[in-house]
This record gives sequence, C-alpha cells and structure tokens, in this order.
Amino acid sequence: MATAEVLVNGNQNDWSDRYYHVDQILDKPGPRTDPSFLAGEEVKKFLREACKILVIGAGGLGCEILANLALSGFKDIHVIDMDTIDISNLNRQFLFRPKDVGQPKAIVAAEFIMNRVPGVKVTPYFGKIQDKDEEYYMQFNLVICGLDSVEARRWINATLVNMVDPEEPESLKPLIDGGTEGFKGQARVILPTVTSCYECSLDMLNKPTAFPICTIANTPRLPEHCIEWASVLEWPKVFKDKKLDTDDPEHIGWLFKTASARAKEFKIEGVTWSLTQGVVKNIIPAIASTNAIIAASCCNEAFKIATSSAAYLNNYFMLIGTDGVYSFTFEHQKREDCPVCGGQALDITVNKEWTLERLIEMLIERQDVQVKKPSLTTATKQLYLQGPPQLEELTRPNLEKKVSELVEEGDYITVTARTLPFDLTLRVTYA
Amino acid sequence: MSAAVSESQDIEQATAAIHSRPPDNKTRRYDRQLRLWAASGQNALESSRILVLSSSATATAVLKNLVLPGIGHFTILDSAITSPADAGNNFFLAGPSSIGKPRAQEAVPLLRELNDSVEGEAVVKDVKELLRTDDGKAFVSAFSLVIAHNLQKDTTDDLSKLLWSDLNYPPLLVVRSAGFLAEFFIQFHEQCVAQPHTDENVPSLRIIRPFSALTQWASSLDFDSLDPTEHGHIPFVIILVKAVEQWKASHDGKLPATMPERRAFKEQIAEMRKKIDEENFDEAEAQAWRIWSDPPVPGAVQSLFGLAPLTPGLTADAPNAGFHALLRTLEAFVSAPDGPGSLPLSGALPDMRTDTESYVKLQTVYKEFAAVEKVRSRLVIAPAISDEEVDTFVKNAHHIRVLRGHRWGEWDADKEALASSLSIFPRETATHLGLAALSNLLSKAPDGSAVTVDALRAEVHKLVGDNVELPEDLESAIGELARAPTADVPNTAAFLGGMVAQEAIKMITKQYVPVNGYCVIDMVDMWTGTVGGQ
Amino acid sequence: MIKIWSMKKNEDAAARRKPKTSAAQIRVQKDLTELELSATMKTHFPDPADLLNFTLTITPDEGMYKGGAFVFSVNINTNYPHEPPKVKCTQTIYHPNVDLEGNVCLNILREDWKPVLNLNSVLVGLQYLFLEPNADDPLNKDAAEELRKNREQFLQNVKTSMRGGNIRGQQYDRVVAQ
Repeated sequence: MATAEVLVNGNQNDWSDRYYHVDQILDKPGPRTDPSFLAGEEVKKFLREACKILVIGAGGLGCEILANLALSGFKDIHVIDMDTIDISNLNRQFLFRPKDVGQPKAIVAAEFIMNRVPGVKVTPYFGKIQDKDEEYYMQFNLVICGLDSVEARRWINATLVNMVDPEEPESLKPLIDGGTEGFKGQARVILPTVTSCYECSLDMLNKPTAFPICTIANTPRLPEHCIEWASVLEWPKVFKDKKLDTDDPEHIGWLFKTASARAKEFKIEGVTWSLTQGVVKNIIPAIASTNAIIAASCCNEAFKIATSSAAYLNNYFMLIGTDGVYSFTFEHQKREDCPVCGGQALDITVNKEWTLERLIEMLIERQDVQVKKPSLTTATKQLYLQGPPQLEELTRPNLEKKVSELVEEGDYITVTARTLPFDLTLRVTYA
Repeated sequence: MSAAVSESQDIEQATAAIHSRPPDNKTRRYDRQLRLWAASGQNALESSRILVLSSSATATAVLKNLVLPGIGHFTILDSAITSPADAGNNFFLAGPSSIGKPRAQEAVPLLRELNDSVEGEAVVKDVKELLRTDDGKAFVSAFSLVIAHNLQKDTTDDLSKLLWSDLNYPPLLVVRSAGFLAEFFIQFHEQCVAQPHTDENVPSLRIIRPFSALTQWASSLDFDSLDPTEHGHIPFVIILVKAVEQWKASHDGKLPATMPERRAFKEQIAEMRKKIDEENFDEAEAQAWRIWSDPPVPGAVQSLFGLAPLTPGLTADAPNAGFHALLRTLEAFVSAPDGPGSLPLSGALPDMRTDTESYVKLQTVYKEFAAVEKVRSRLVIAPAISDEEVDTFVKNAHHIRVLRGHRWGEWDADKEALASSLSIFPRETATHLGLAALSNLLSKAPDGSAVTVDALRAEVHKLVGDNVELPEDLESAIGELARAPTADVPNTAAFLGGMVAQEAIKMITKQYVPVNGYCVIDMVDMWTGTVGGQ
Repeated sequence: MIKIWSMKKNEDAAARRKPKTSAAQIRVQKDLTELELSATMKTHFPDPADLLNFTLTITPDEGMYKGGAFVFSVNINTNYPHEPPKVKCTQTIYHPNVDLEGNVCLNILREDWKPVLNLNSVLVGLQYLFLEPNADDPLNKDAAEELRKNREQFLQNVKTSMRGGNIRGQQYDRVVAQ
C-alpha cells in the first residue's frame, strides 16, 4: 500500500529512506562504539521521538546548529535568543533574509527550520536565558550553546552544574559549547560536575584590549585611543546618565565626530566609522565557514551523546584555520578550586538546638574540613561574615541564634575562608 | 599643480568621505568578514566563478558558505535526480517535494536566496560525459575554482589530469567523505600568498640597521638631561637604537650574540633607567629580541628568491605574474649595493609607551623612510602593478608565502611515501588510505555493496604494498567506513562545508594560507590532520 | 543517551549540588571577608544584603593627602572576576591620577586586570595613589604639572582643595576627615 510506505515509525512526516544516511550510523556500531549502543529501532525512536534538546543562541552558530540538528533527526528542539536581526548578521546567519531585519532571531529561525525540514518542531523563546528557571532547563536531555557572551555562558554553565542531583541521573545535562573568532574556533563537551566546566577555563579567555585611561586622556597615539576617549570619557561628561547605545547610528556618529576631532588635534590618522564601531562594540570578525565548522562539531557531539553511536569528544577541540588547518584536541582539566564545579560539598546533620556559633565551632574542629575563620551564607541570607567590620557587626547577632531558625532543612550553606581553596557547600539536615 | 596631484587629492577626499559616513548596506552586510579580508579580498571573491560537481548535502553546504560571503557566480554540475535520501539530508532541497526532480535545479534557487548579489545556475549533465568533449573540457577549465564531492574515482582522475595539464587552469578541490570520516585535497600548481595573516607582530623596525633619521634622533637625545616625565616617555625604539650604539662602541662594533651577552645587554638597558618603574624601559627590555632575531631577510623569504618560476620567461599573462615580478623586485632591492641589504621598511609602527608628539614624529619618520624605499624599489616594477598591490606586498614582505602543490593521486602512487607516512602519522595516513580504498570499491559498486572491512584492507594493501604492516588505526578507520560507506551525514557534511569553503576563500582571495596535502578528518575522536603535502 | 551517570560511580556521592549563588557572588563573599582593611580604609554597604555595591573611604595617615577622607564607589557586576570592579571617586578632588569626573587611573582597574587579582589588590592600589601620586601618567594634567614643577605649590594646592577651595577657577569638594 502506498500510504504504508510513506509512514515510517508512525511519523507521518517521515518518508521511506528519509534517514538513509544517518541510519547507516544508527543501524550498526563502529569499532570505537561503546557496547551500550542499542543499534536499530530503539536508538532511532529515542532520537526522533523522545529526545528534547535546547539550543541557546540563534545567531551565527545557532542558525547552523538548528539546521544540523533538524537534519540529524532531532525533532523536539527549543531555541532561546534575546536578539533581533541586524543587517550585519546576513553574511553568515543563513536562516535570515533582508526582510527579516528587526525581527526576533529565535522566532524567524524556528519558523524557517519548520518550513524547510518537515516534522521538526522548533519552539522559540525570544528573551533571556536568565528568565527561565531550573524546572525549564530540567526538561531537556542536552543543551548546545552558541553564544558570544562570556556572562551568559557562565550563567548557563553554573545553572547546569548546580542542577546536578546525585540521586537523580536525569539531572545531569551535557552542555556542548562552541565559539568562533575569524578563522579560529573551539567546541567542547561539558558534563557538569564530571568534566571541567566553563568556569574552570575562564582564565584561557582572551580579554578584550583595554587602554590605560591616562593614555586615553593625555597621550593618545592610536586612532583607538581617540575613540575610547570619546566613548569612555567624553560621552558620560556630555550626556551624563544617558546610556551609550552602540547600536544607535546617531550615537556612533557622535562618537566618530568627537574622536575624529581629537585625532585631528593630535595629528593621529585612521579614525573611521568602521573602526569606531569596531572599538566601541568590541566587534569580533565572523564568517559563515568557521561557524559552520564549529556548529557541526557541536551537533556531531550532541548526536553521538544522544545516540551513543560513537565515542564523544573528551573534551576540547580547538581549531586554527589561518595557516593551513591546525587543530588540537585535548582534555581540559577540572580545576579543584573552581568556584562553580570545584570545592568540597558535605552533608551535615545538625542538632536542632545548635546555635550558629556551635556549628562554626564544629566546622573548625572537623578534621576533614580544616577551616579557620569561616564566613557562612545561604542563597538568600548572610549568616555570619568575618568582615568587613560593618557586615561582621550586622551578622554577629546570628551567632546566638539556632541554625534551625536561620536555615531550612535541605538548604545549602556556602562557606568561604582563607584556608579553603574556594568554597565549601553544606547541605543541612536536622537531627 | 599637475593633474596627477589634484587627481590623487580627489581620491583622498573621496576616501575620507567614505570613511566618515555610516557605511552603505553592502558594507554593513559584509562588515564582519571585511574585518578579516578587507575590500581586496572581497573584490577577489566577487569576481570569482566556482564550479561544484555534485549537489550532495556536502556540496550544497560548501556552496552555502561561499554564497553567503558573496562569490560572483556558481555553477552546479550534476545529473542526479533527487532521491528520498537526498531530500532527507540536504538543507538546500525542498524536502519531499524535490524528490524525482533534478537535484541541481532544486538546489540552486534555495542557495541563491541566501544572497541576492550572487549568480548561480544548474547544469544537469553528467561530468564524465562532459569531460569527453572539447567543449566540456573548455567549460570546466574556465572557472576560478572547481570543487568535487564524492565523485567517482575514474572521473576524478580524468578531471584532475585535465586541470593539471595547463598552468592557467583552475585549482581543483577534491572532497571525500563517508560517515564520520572525511578528507579533502587541493590540487594547484602554485599559490602565492601576499597577505598570509600569520604573523601579527610588526616586522623589522631596523633597530640594528638604523636609517639616518633614526640614528640622528637617538644620538641627538641626551637621556640624562631629560626631566623624569620626558625620560619615562622616550620611545623604546630610540632607547634600543641608543643602547645598540653604546654596546657596539664597547664591543668592537659587534652586536650581543651569546646568551650571557644578551643578558648583559638587557642589564645595560636597565642601567639606563632613572626610576625602576619606567614602563618604556620595560618595553625596551621586552623588545630586545629585535636586536638578535632580526635577519635582514627571513630565511623563508630568502629561499623564495631562488625559486624558479613555473613559466620560464614569466610573461605578463602567466599565473601569478604580478607576484613574481614583485618578488624579483624585492630580491633586486635586497641585493642592491646602495640599499640597506634587507627587506624594505614596512612603515608600520607598534603602539608604545610615549607621548603623542614623539609617537606621531616617530611614525612620520618611519612612514617617510618607507616611502623613500618604496620609490627606490618601484623603479624596477612593471607599471601594470598598482600602488596598492605594492604597498600590500611590502607590508607583508617578511612573511609572504609561495606554495607549490601536487597533482591529485600523485601521492597514492608512491608506495614508499605512503609507507613512511604511515609510520610517522599512522592515524591520519590510515584514514586517508581507508578513504582511498573506499573510493576504489565504490567505483565498482556505487551502492556500497562491495564494501567490507576485509575488502577495504585488501585495497589498502594494494596501495601500500603487501609487506607493509598496517597500524591499529587502520582498523578503526576501515571499520567506520564499512559501517557507513555511502553515508553523507548532515554533521560531517556541515563540517566539511565549512572547511572546504574556508580553503576555497583562501585560494580565491590569496589571503591566509591554504592546506597543502590531504586534510584528514575524524569526527569520532574529533581530530584533523594534514598528510602527503611534501 | 550515553550513561554519564555510570562515570560518576567512583566519585564521592556526597551532595555536590550547590545553592543558587552565582560564581561572582561567592567570589565577592570570599574577597570581602578576607579583605585586609587597615585603620585607614573603611567600607560601607548602603544595602548590607547587596555585596556587589559599596563605598570605600580612604583616610591617609601619612603623605600629602593626610587628613583627607576620600570616598570611592565600588560596583561589581555579575561578570566578576572576568571583568574588573568599577571604581570611581565620588568627590571632586585635586589629584594627578583622578580626573574631575572621578575617573581613576590605576592599571589594575583596566588594562592590567586579571581574574587572579582581587578586591584587596584594588584597595591596596587605591591607597598607594594617595601616598605616591604619579605625575608621569596624569589624568588631571594641571595637578600633575604642578607636582612636577613645584612640589611646594602642589602641596599647598592639595591642602586648599581638601578644605573645599578653588584652584585656578576649579572648585573642589571639602574632604577633610571628621
């Protein structure tokens, strides 16, 4: 029967041979495939019917990621992005057209994918990742990040690490992170609490160039110095509290004019509109091809993790494409003193009648903690801080109070102290 | 006032006007890439015509990454009819509605809509047939670059022979993939890279071969008589020129050479300080390497001087004629008895701790002398080369590259080279051999039915010889290939799409350095490597 | 899905779950509670629950600025310590390295900031500015010029400015310690 041929796996959008290519991978293991791989229908069913994946960012990497996932057989994809489409996105963000300029990226990208790849559901959210809570992130099997912001990456990384509950295997969400700059890029797999996390590698990041403020003020030499003078010193002086909007052409125009005048005064050449924009927006060069490479690496890892069809990246892939193709795959080490995934964690049982002071004494006495002069907080309150004096005084009355009045059963206490590499987390239960 | 002068002023004014306005829509659209390859790279892309053989998922992924940055024109040559499998793995087909229609014709409009300024066409013909006719050969040879994905072995052989047969024929990018494994190779005779973007350091500042303006400045400045602020703002270049002068005076005119001498030289700089925290003196110490590692001509550039051109006589219409003319000029400049004996000054100056006035003055000194040397070198240059080209060449003279490529298939015929590579780069070479073996088997049965681990191993033995011991890595590679011999999976296609487009951009813009050899990719353990480039 | 959990089996099964405190927040808690505040430095938290925004008062007990009380605002964003804290002088003061808008020229607040530095390094740096004002890299050019050319006059100007006086037509805030 003709209709029977079209219906595969009960999904009316799947036509026979739709997954001819991918199925070669899913129908049998390769030499490096883990024995737990369940080749055949079971893995296909999980991928195409059960697996739910979140894509953070619908920009340069995000557009590519969405297309690759959809073609690979992921059918329940969510995407978050807070940005709208700008004309400068069109040289690489291939799901957008000139008519889409000004529209939310997440929504346009989701619609495009659903039109192009039948049977794939893409659920967009036009907003910030911080708008969503743990319950939201808990619904996904995997998270892929294609972001250009360090802050947003730190946030999602910390959120996923914090979500890991040792009693609940499903709470561990693999995080795959990609990033590019010009002909260079990197992709990495983070298994929260198991492998090194984003925060562990924070010191590997290049910091944006900053010029000494006295150079900007008094001894400018480069056109960049004149531009920073206009944006860092002159703008707040002239416009007071009005915030500089680097997307507003009028604001850029003012900065350009001001920087040019200063450059002329000091006989410095090279202030252009494009450089002004580049400096104040900290523009990073971006091209379609590098994004394609890095996004494909990320999706490949997502596919391998979701299906167990092949070994996955352990855990960092770095690519430099300026001089031939140079890449480096290595295991980035977890940092013991990482503020997000490092530090110690302890379950402690506290007598309901104990004061906070008694708890602190107990911590100091414990051989396995070895802490001196600890400061204690919960997510919402300061329990006792050793300094500065104002805060010590304010929190001192808590020492007399019962721990059970200050902290609820099952709550977490963050302990910091000079003697601890970073911090210690206590989970409190009452006896 | 002569006409030429007023004309150049007009250009200057016009350029100034361009730079002082918000950019036009085209510049805005390409802003993020213009910051990498500038207008010169963009112009090269826009005048390129690219032929892609096949409209597989990989082929369209490559094209996507070429259409977006704005190549001039593309042609897809493919006789295939869209299969249900194609409709499932190719983003540039319209899903099931494309099934049964010519694949190239279905893909072209979906690629063209990515960028209005790019032209594209589908030619629904068989490559093999086409290459049998003279018209077909002429058609294929007229592009700027030809890219082929998973083309049959014998067709690839024919095509590569054709394109190798004339220095003016386009480079050929051969791409092969199956499942998680892939490789690509660029067949080209010669690639001259005037802007490699590989060394971000400012080239020689001529501190050990100072020109008169520099020595005059250094010797006329009495460091001791300066007030602390002025002393803390002497440009490091001047500090170093002075320090070298002093060193030479007490060391028989020789430069510091040995490690202890270098240390002593740095100590000498330290003694010139008035206060311990003078950052300009910190810079001078940090830049002291410019005293001992500043060859008049870097070794790699020197070796280019001896490179025989591929076309004897080097007529103006020979490939890379302009580059070679500039290279000869450079050589003449270096060996000129009245010249500096080194590469011409680039004119660039790094930022340094000093006051505005000194910096601007130093910048002027460098620019003016660079202009003098340019005029001197210009005398030898063919007038057909634009001033802009000369400037770019001089700016990059310290790291220009000339790559000499190889014919596709040459390496695979060299048993000794393969065996040696197999012992030095086992996993990369094994993966390449696996893909070559797969290609041989698929030419017998395109559906993959002849592909088994044993058959692949036997093919590999045919390539390297029966007595060569095969590494463990070969089993990993051929096992994956036997698992998915005809699979063009979306992630591998997208990865290759990026890689191959990136190399195509390098070839066309002559900026950045392309791969020379087989770039091999394994997406199981996620690594890449290059073999067979010697 | 791969069974990631099995990889954890060798690990201590203790609670590794953490409270919803951000890395920046924990780091600030650590930095603040470990500050080595001398008698010449005092912090004030307008909202004690908010550790990210506070003021720092420096009352130098030696040097040219002895007797003054200089108030800086310190604002830490959630990207700390990837980004340095923002520090501004809240008063109009006469100092070669502080401009009239309160911008401070201190390398570790900008070009030389690294995540391994902490709030203590910033405090030490600020204090040093009052002991050793630097005339070579000025923000207030007039003040720097005076310090270089005529130290006595500069000292006089510092005293005048700290009392809320006027120097060359510029009115300064009174910053004499109570």
